[in-house]
Order: sequence, then C-alpha cells, then structure tokens
Amino acid sequence: MIRKRLTTRLWILILAAAFIALSAAALALRHAAPQHAVAVVYLDGERLRAIDLSEEAATWQFTVEQDGMTNRIEVRPGGIRIAEANCPDQTCVRQGWLEGGVTPIVCLPHRLVIRPESDTGEAPLDAVAG
Amino acid sequence: MKRSLAILLTLLALFSAAHAESCRTFFAMDTVMTLRAEEASDDLLADCEAEVLRLEALLSATDPDSEISRLNRTGKAVLSRDTFGLLQFARDMGKRTGGALDVTLYPVVRAWGFTTGQTRVPGEAELELLLQRVDYRQITLHADGTAQLPEGVMVDLGSIAKGYASDAIADRLRQAGVQSALIDLGGNLYCLGTKADGSDWRVGIRSPLGDGHCAALSVQNCAVVTSGNYERSFTAADGTRYGHIFDPGTGCPVEGDLLSATVIGQEGALCDALSTALFVMGSTRATEYLACQSEVEAILLCEDGRILASAGLRETLRPMGEFEAWEIQWIEAE
Repeated sequence: MIRKRLTTRLWILILAAAFIALSAAALALRHAAPQHAVAVVYLDGERLRAIDLSEEAATWQFTVEQDGMTNRIEVRPGGIRIAEANCPDQTCVRQGWLEGGVTPIVCLPHRLVIRPESDTGEAPLDAVAG
Repeated sequence: MKRSLAILLTLLALFSAAHAESCRTFFAMDTVMTLRAEEASDDLLADCEAEVLRLEALLSATDPDSEISRLNRTGKAVLSRDTFGLLQFARDMGKRTGGALDVTLYPVVRAWGFTTGQTRVPGEAELELLLQRVDYRQITLHADGTAQLPEGVMVDLGSIAKGYASDAIADRLRQAGVQSALIDLGGNLYCLGTKADGSDWRVGIRSPLGDGHCAALSVQNCAVVTSGNYERSFTAADGTRYGHIFDPGTGCPVEGDLLSATVIGQEGALCDALSTALFVMGSTRATEYLACQSEVEAILLCEDGRILASAGLRETLRPMGEFEAWEIQWIEAE
C-alpha cells in the first residue's frame, strides 16, 4: 500500500517536472524567435490592416479614404510612411518613414494611426514619453 | 493523493494561463491615446475612454460648452468637483514653482494663435497688455465650488489635463483589479504595476533633436511625462521658430537652455505640471527645485550637451544613440 502511494507521488513529481521543463523551453523558443517589423494601420481606432515590413521586397502604395479625407501610404522594404494626405497640417507627411522604434505615425485630423508592432507582441521599448 | 493531484492541477492552471492583453486606441484632448491592459475587459477600456472624453468636455479651453470656457467667458462659474479640484491644484503648483507653471497664460497663448492654428507673432505692446492679465494668484476659489476670475483673465488647464486623466484611468483600472497596464495619452505615460511577466516597463524618451529616442529607463507603477518645445512649433516669416511652451514672465515661447524635461513620479498630474514648469525654469532653477524635493525624479536635456538627472535614476537611466556621448550630471537631494 505504502509502495503504491510512493509510486503515484513519484509519477506526479515526474509529470510536474516535465511540464515545467516544457513550459520553460516553449518560453525560451518564443523569445528566441526572430521578430518581424509589422506596421498596423488604424482608422478611428479600428484596425484596418497589418503589413509585415520585413517581408516586403518592393515599394508599393495604397490609399485610405473616408468622407473625402485621404492618406496615400507608401510601403518599402523595412519602412512605411504617409506619402501624401489632404489634411490641413501635413504633420503626418512630415513625420516621414517609420523604420523601427515605437513612435507611431499619426494623422490627427483624419484620425489615422500607423503603429509599429512585432509579431511576437514584444518591442524593445514598451512606450515612448514625449 | 488527492492533495497532490490538486497541487499538480493548480500548477498546470498557473502555467497554462495565457496573458490576455486588451488594447484600445482613440482620439481625445487633441492627441491619439492608447490603453493596453492585462486581464481587462473591452467594456472596462471603453469606460476609461468615456472617462477621458468626460474630462475633456469639462476641461477643454477650446470647447465653448466646457466648464472652463464658461468660466473664461463669464468670469464666475459653479464648477464640478473635477474642474474645481484641478484649478486648485493648478493654483498650488503655480505657488510651488514660483509661477513657472501659470494656467492664466491662456490670453497670451491665444494671441500667438496656438489654439486656433492661425499662428502669428504678437507685437510688444500687445503682449505687455496681455501679460497684465497673467497671474495664477488671480484665481479665486470659494468653498461652495465657485471659481472667479477678474475681467480679461482666462485659464487653460492643458498643461495638466492629460496627467490628471492618466491618474483617473489608473485609478479606474486599479479599482477593477487590473495589475498591469500601460496608459499612453499622446506620449504622456502612466505605467500601472509591472508588465505581465513581472518585469519593469521599458520606457523611451523621445529625442528632442529629431527622430528616435534619447534615453530609456525601466519603471513600474509611475507616470512619465516629457515637455519640450520640439513638440509643437511654428516658423515665422523671418525664419524664427517658436515653440508652444510659454514663459509667464515674457509672454513669449520659452528660450531657456533646456531641450526637454522629463518627470517620473507617482502622480500623472504632478508630473505633467512639473515637466512644463521645469522646462520654463531652465537648468539652474530646475536643478535647485529638484534637489529640494523628493516627490519626483527628472531628466533634463540641456542645449550644451549635458544630461541632468535625479540621482535616484542612476541604476535605470540609459542614454541612447548620439546621447550616449553626453555628460550625465546627477542631481543629489539636499
């Protein structure tokens, strides 16, 4: 009887140790996975599309339009920018290329945001003050 | 046997619990805001957004229906608890900073056109006249919740409203049991608790010299607010660049020796107020102020290539890029 109880406890210990080891390995693999620079385009808080900039091989453009407000967005390998907009202040166009970092491109009058994210959800910085 | 199994199941549950992060982006207070929180429902983040919009509707100086606009228009108004409390705080901060933070600068800021987008450089005589209306001590607050301003005096709480809003959101999230959240109100940050894995938040400080970041620091459970005249500015016909932070003494954009001032502390409103005030003070007065208090820590970037930082940040502050070559001088508490 005592021997049976000992065997059961041993199995539980082995299972627990194996699970912890597997979890640690999964976590390590997750952090070791190569990060892709992904830019996500939001319009009025709604996620429109995500573009993996590290997968881009050529330069291309697309336009976001709503109620006559347009932003022409240009994508190139590793970078994204607002090339043209019919907003009054043109701040978004002057922000230039988003390449790395965590500061988003913002077109306040058109409520358009291009935010850098990574496919693992991890970023070198969590936020930027200023 | 049963107890062992229960322990094993608990362990399994703990290890397999996925960290669920909710995120919400919205526009308010003339900027883009993002809330990220662990284990928070979408409804809770929607409540937080509604709270920011509620505060904006009370505090905005440009919304004709706000309490602040009503006070500016009529010179006397019964205010909500939020607006009254924040005016009281603004007046106290005016006193504590020797007038470096003065919320009665609004007539001057309006004359420069920063509130309308029609920027211009007012003449000396015009500024002299407007400066007679600038003095935070002219705000009278009565015990019944009424505020009073002399004729021509107007207030703008824009220099503290986002910090106050970040405190309000942090409180709301804490009350709902959230232990990890990042509140980003247009670069005005509140880092609630730690990251989901228990590590510190890694926060960058925007470079005042262009793209990128000038420094990074690891923080938890605090606000981080930066002020600098690089944020919003306009260039006049003669090529002179004018920033949006004003010197209450001259009625002109600050022409001090600081590029930016970052304040780290427990209260968002205090950090917001002090980041502006320290920037206005300039390096000498700001260093003296910081040495005599213990509520906040700060990082001051000087035009001459020095970084002045509170000694409490010694272990965490890491300059980045070209700023790695800058000399760091630590501000020790007296």
